[in-house]
Parts: sequence; C-alpha cells; structure tokens
Amino acid sequence: MDVLLQAIAFVLQWQNLAALAGGTVYGIIIGVLPGLGPSAGMALAIPLVMTWHPATALIFMGALYKCSNYGGSLTAILVNTPGDASNAATILDGYPMCQRGMGGVALGLSATSALVGGTIGMICLIYAAPFLADFALEFGPAEYFLTAVLALSLIAAVVQGATIKGLIAAGMGLLLSTVGFDVIAGHLRYTFDWAPVEDGIPLIQALVGLFAVTQALVLAESAASISRLAELSGSFWEGVRTYFRHPLIMVRASLIGLFVGILPGVGQSSAGLLAWADAKRVSKHPETFGEGEPVGVIASETATNSCMPGDLVCTIALGLPGSVGAAVFLGVMIIFGIVPGPLVFMNQPEVIYSLFVALFLTSFLIFIIGMTVARRLAVVTLLPNNVIVPLILVVSLLGSFAIRNEMADVFISLAFGALGYVMLKGGFTPIPLLLGLVLGEMVETNYHRALLISGGSYSIFYASVICKILILLTILSLVGPYLGPFWKTLTQGEK
Amino acid sequence: MLKTLKICAAVAAATLVATPVFGADFPTKPIKLIVTAGAGGGEDTEARAIAPFVEKHLGQQVVIENQPGAGGKIAFEKFQNVTPDGYALITYTFPKSVIIEYQGKTGFKTRDFTPIFAWSRSSQVLVVNGESWKTFQEFLKAAKEKPLSGGLSGRGSTTHLMGLIALDELGIDKVNWVPYEGSAGSIAALAGKHLDFTMSLATSAVALIQAGKLRPLLLFSDKRDPHFPDIPVPKDLGYNMSFIPTLRGVEAPPKTPADIVTILEAAFSKAAQEKGFIDIAAKRKMVLEPVGSKEFARAVADVYPKIAKFQSMLTSK
Repeated sequence: MDVLLQAIAFVLQWQNLAALAGGTVYGIIIGVLPGLGPSAGMALAIPLVMTWHPATALIFMGALYKCSNYGGSLTAILVNTPGDASNAATILDGYPMCQRGMGGVALGLSATSALVGGTIGMICLIYAAPFLADFALEFGPAEYFLTAVLALSLIAAVVQGATIKGLIAAGMGLLLSTVGFDVIAGHLRYTFDWAPVEDGIPLIQALVGLFAVTQALVLAESAASISRLAELSGSFWEGVRTYFRHPLIMVRASLIGLFVGILPGVGQSSAGLLAWADAKRVSKHPETFGEGEPVGVIASETATNSCMPGDLVCTIALGLPGSVGAAVFLGVMIIFGIVPGPLVFMNQPEVIYSLFVALFLTSFLIFIIGMTVARRLAVVTLLPNNVIVPLILVVSLLGSFAIRNEMADVFISLAFGALGYVMLKGGFTPIPLLLGLVLGEMVETNYHRALLISGGSYSIFYASVICKILILLTILSLVGPYLGPFWKTLTQGEK
Repeated sequence: MLKTLKICAAVAAATLVATPVFGADFPTKPIKLIVTAGAGGGEDTEARAIAPFVEKHLGQQVVIENQPGAGGKIAFEKFQNVTPDGYALITYTFPKSVIIEYQGKTGFKTRDFTPIFAWSRSSQVLVVNGESWKTFQEFLKAAKEKPLSGGLSGRGSTTHLMGLIALDELGIDKVNWVPYEGSAGSIAALAGKHLDFTMSLATSAVALIQAGKLRPLLLFSDKRDPHFPDIPVPKDLGYNMSFIPTLRGVEAPPKTPADIVTILEAAFSKAAQEKGFIDIAAKRKMVLEPVGSKEFARAVADVYPKIAKFQSMLTSK
C-alpha cells in the first residue's frame, strides 16, 4: 500500500487541496441549480482544467461529480425540487420534515449521510474495485431482469395500507415507462409522433412536475410558509445524532446504494428509492414514512451517496460507464491521458489512488460545508408562500427547460404537476408510480434480451446461481411480511 | 488596447450599416454549433474540442448548444427550418440522421442539409470474449453452425446496420441480435460471457481489449486503424465488403449559399489540422480523416440505398 501513502501525500499538496475544495463547491452549486447535472457541469469545466496537471484536474472533476448530488439533496429537502433524479427519494421525507419546522435536522441528516455513505462506498472502491467489477460482469440479462423484479417486489411494502391505490399508481408508472422508443423491437410506442417523448418520459422533468409543481399548487392554497410553524425546531446536530441512532438502516442503505451503483445496467436514480422502500419495509412504524420520517431521509441519502463510488467501480476497473455522469467522467479521464480499465491499476496507480483519496476526503468536506453554511439555508422554509411559490415554480420550470433546451419539457412538467395534484387529492402516493417508471424499462428490456440469447427458452431465468439467489430473495420479500404473524400463531396457538 | 477596440467597433458598425448579408463579410457575429446529444458525450466532446480552433480561423466566437432528445431527431427537425445564413450549424455522427429517417416519420431529409466538413471517421469492430475464438475463421465456422448471440449498441444503430451487411456478405444465415442502449451494456455482457460476440466501435471496448479480456477479430473498414494496427480488415482475409462510413462533422441548413460554405469549410479544415486538436484526437483514439463538403455530400448520397436495403430489418417483424 505504498502507492496509497504516496497518493495521500500528493493530495495534501496545496494545489490539489484547492482543486478538491473548488470542485466540491462547484459541484454543490451545480447540484443546487435545477437542470444542470454533473454531466453538464463537468463538460463545462473541461476548458478550465485543461492546462492543469492531469491528477489535479481529475481531483477537481471527481469532487465536482461526487458533490453535485449533495447540492441536489439541499433543494430536494428545502424546496421540494430534485436537483437530479437520484434525489427523488430524499424529497419524500426531507420536505415533510421541513414542513414540520425540522429543516435543520433534515440538513444534518443529509450531510451525515453524505459523510457515512460516501465513506463506506469509497472504502469498497479503494479496496475491492477489481473484485466488485468481476462480480458485476456475472450479471447478464436474466440476472438484471430478476434484480428488477426483486426491486419491484418492494412496491408491496410501499403500498401497505392503501394496497389498491398503490398498485394502480405502480401500474401507471410501469405503463408510462413503455412510452418512447422500444429498444428491443425498434418501434416507437405511445409517442403520437411527438418527438420529445421518443426517448421515453424524461425523468427529471417528470419529477419536477410530480414534486415541485404539485407542491406549488398545494402551497398556493394557503397563505402560510413551507414550515407550518413560525420558527424552526431542532438543529443540525440533532440530525447528526439521529443519524447514528440507526446503524442498521445505515448499513442496509449503503449496501443497496453500492449494489445499484456497481451494476452498470441499473438506473442510478433507483438507489435512493429502493433504500427508502427497504427502510419502510423493515420499520416498526411504516406509516410515518412520507410524513417526515427521519429514517426515510437517512436511507435515501446514504444509498445515493454510496451509489456514486459504486458507479465508478466498473467505470475505472473495466472502462465501462454505468451512467451518463460516469460516461462523461470517463471521457474526462481519457482527455487527460488516463485510460480506465483493468490495466489502470498497474499502469497509472498514482493517478487513480490520488483520485480515490481525494474522493474520500470530499465526504468530510461536504459535512463541514453542511455544518457551517448549508444549515443556515433552512430559513428559506420560513419565507411566506407568496414569495416562495412563484420562486420555486420559475426556477424548477427553468431547470426543466434547460436540460434539453426544449420548451415541450416545460409542458411535460406541468402535465405531471397536474397529475401529481390529482393523485394527492385522491389519496394516491407518487412513490409506486416512480418505482414503476424507473424500473419498468429494466424489467422489460432484460426479459427480452434474456430470451433472445436463450433462443426463447425460459431456463435461462434460473440457470445461474445468482438467478436462484435472486428468485429466493424475491419470494422472501413477498411472503416475508406474512411469515412473522404466521409463525406467531403457529407457536403460540390460537387464543 | 482601447484604440484597437474602438477600431474594431467602428469596423463592426460600418459593416453592419453598410452591407446586407454578403459572403465576403461572413461571419460578423458569433456562430451557434448545435450538438444533437447531451453535454459530455462523444459528439459533444469532439465539438468542444474543435470549437476553439474554428474560432481562431473564423475570427468569431463559436457557441455550443446541446439539443439532445430522440437520438437527435428533435434537433434535426428544428434545424431543417433554420435560416441558412451560416450562423447556425449542426454536428452529429453521420449517418444516424439517415437511420432516423427510415425508422419513423420525419419532416427533415439529411440529403437536403448542406455538408460543410467532417474531421473524423470511425469503423465498427467485431469483438469476442478473450477466452473464446482466436481467429475470425474459427468464429465464422462457429457462426455458420448455429445462430450465435450478438450484442448491438442499439437497434437501428450503425453497429446494427454494419452487422446486417456483414451477415449478408459473409453468408451467415442467422444471428440472435441483442440490442442494448449504448455500447457499455453490450460490452459488459460480452465480457461476462452472456453474449457470443458484440459489434461496437473499437474505442468503446479499448480498455478490455488491451487487458486481453476481449479479442477484436475484424475491423469493418477498407484500411487498418492506426490506433489498433493488429486488427485485420476484410481485405486482409480475402473478403470484398461494403461499409457504412461513420463520420463526425458539421453541416449547415438546407440551401446555404456556396460562398458561406467555402468560408466555413476552410475554417473547419484548418482547425482540424491544428496541433492542439490533433493531440486531443490522439488521446481519444479518433481516426482523423478530412472530408470536404463535396466528398461529404457524396457520402450522404451513397448511404441512402445501403440503409434502404436493410430498412425492414432495422425494426423487428
């Protein structure tokens, strides 16, 4: 591990620390601005870092890439607008916490999640990247299909209590996921010759509608402020303390995030949602989820933060990017003469390990920024609605437009806003819809791919060991909730 | 400095007042370069790499605008109706626009656009897992015995098209094509032995090829790739095959005046010879090959019948 010590010494040079801090701050700002994700942020920063030392430039870019997610969680919590699709699940409980005046606590949770999730993810990346990459390659279409089915089984946990309405919403999400170009057959489905949806329903635009627009409509009904209390209760440090009271959720969410990140074929946006659903399933009081349950924020933010290092596993160890952001990061590495792949650990270990060390440190930097600067942002939730509502609407719709420079996307957001409002008034939650929308394509395309490979034989779905384990987990996930009570009646007899 | 600025302003004002749009005075304002994909992808990176050098030779700013969506269709449709004054240009990976025309209803026709210049060319390569067939002959024998599964970076992509042409010309009856979204998925599946082979750009698989996990068997081109000199081309193995050229370049809207085309073509062609651009190209393993306006137009005309022949197979039955 000599190379690791050298890397630490390298990162601690002043210009690299400056690049690290610069990238972190720039990344957070990119994340806060709607419509500007890490990919656009990195592409725009390339001319700036072009003349730097390659390792310094990569530290800047890596920090930018890793920290934009934290910026997105700030807007998700405070103004109900996801900075990026991966922050969707943070909204579910983060924003309701703000409404209860607990904005400061939620910000403490999110900063601690970034610290813990990021650190766990980075340790796995540093020590096990080649091993984890080989594990990811074991996943073929059949395994991906079963992973998606396992993920969908979590809907059962999410909809508990309002099963019919939940399943309707999940079905709607799955249906919406079929809109656009059918990757397998090459047909356009349900697009009505309207080009903006040919790539499928654009996810961030839909999220902006479902959350920001819907909430703006709700807020417009009353003259108060987001926080229903006149003052904020609970502090940043209360958030930090709450976080460490839930070590089990911390571990589960980190592993889920890492797993989603490592598999290049699983959408990054699902990490937070799956961890959230999983936390709700194992919770003793699932009904509080979505109403401002701190554990919900812990689960979703921890998973999102451990997902990003996972995403870098295949990008760096195999040269295969698992997400758009990772693809851009790969392009940046190549421009600086570093060719990611199995040989990079042998050919250019000093660059790679400096990057790892730097990314490891960003988690701490985020926490410090959260502790000193970001926590003060909670006051925006005290602004009166007639100020904040127009602001949220304008900024979020602008972001919707900016992603593709496309006016039609604004209308898509508005349409989803209306849908979200109707669903809310009818007692539907948008979470099953989101899970369906995010996972639908993964289920469908991998099912078809598996059958194309096997020539139509269904045996491919239970041929490998991983397939068998996934099937078993799915069955457990579905019948698990009934096993406990059944066991009780069995052992205690009827009373 | 101030003096220069004043003179510049005076000259600019004079040209604005005195002359209507006239070729010799082109360009007098910043030029917009539309990228038909999101920021950070291959098309975007190449556009951003060449833009500063084009600026140098045009004496005007080049502003990049990303218009992703529907594989570029949204951008092409809008571009069809842009005023042809040379101030809005589009860059993309040809022939994806022609494939889009054959996949569904479109209002634009690629053959109507005014080609300016293409700077790079890329070719498809057939890769197999490093633990399977050693030579193309072994692969061909296996492929003729039973249908193999072949990964594609997308249905109707150029990899698909080249795969269909190769099948046709090599006399392979059937392949179970497995489309992915982008090359990363199909290459990962090949490395994990879930597929028998994959059609991809050599650059997408370079890391795993260098590590010996994947083996390239054939490059679909008439000459070898300088970055991968060991991959044989069909000619080396005694096959006479036709290819779909994949070009990265820039085009102007339909009916752009010839004098403006000449100025733009000269600027892009000089930019492509700049050392700074060549350096970036070498790192990205791009095959630089200047294609002028007339030659580009010929490539566009040539590709239509080739794609038309396989049109029905680009979408499933």
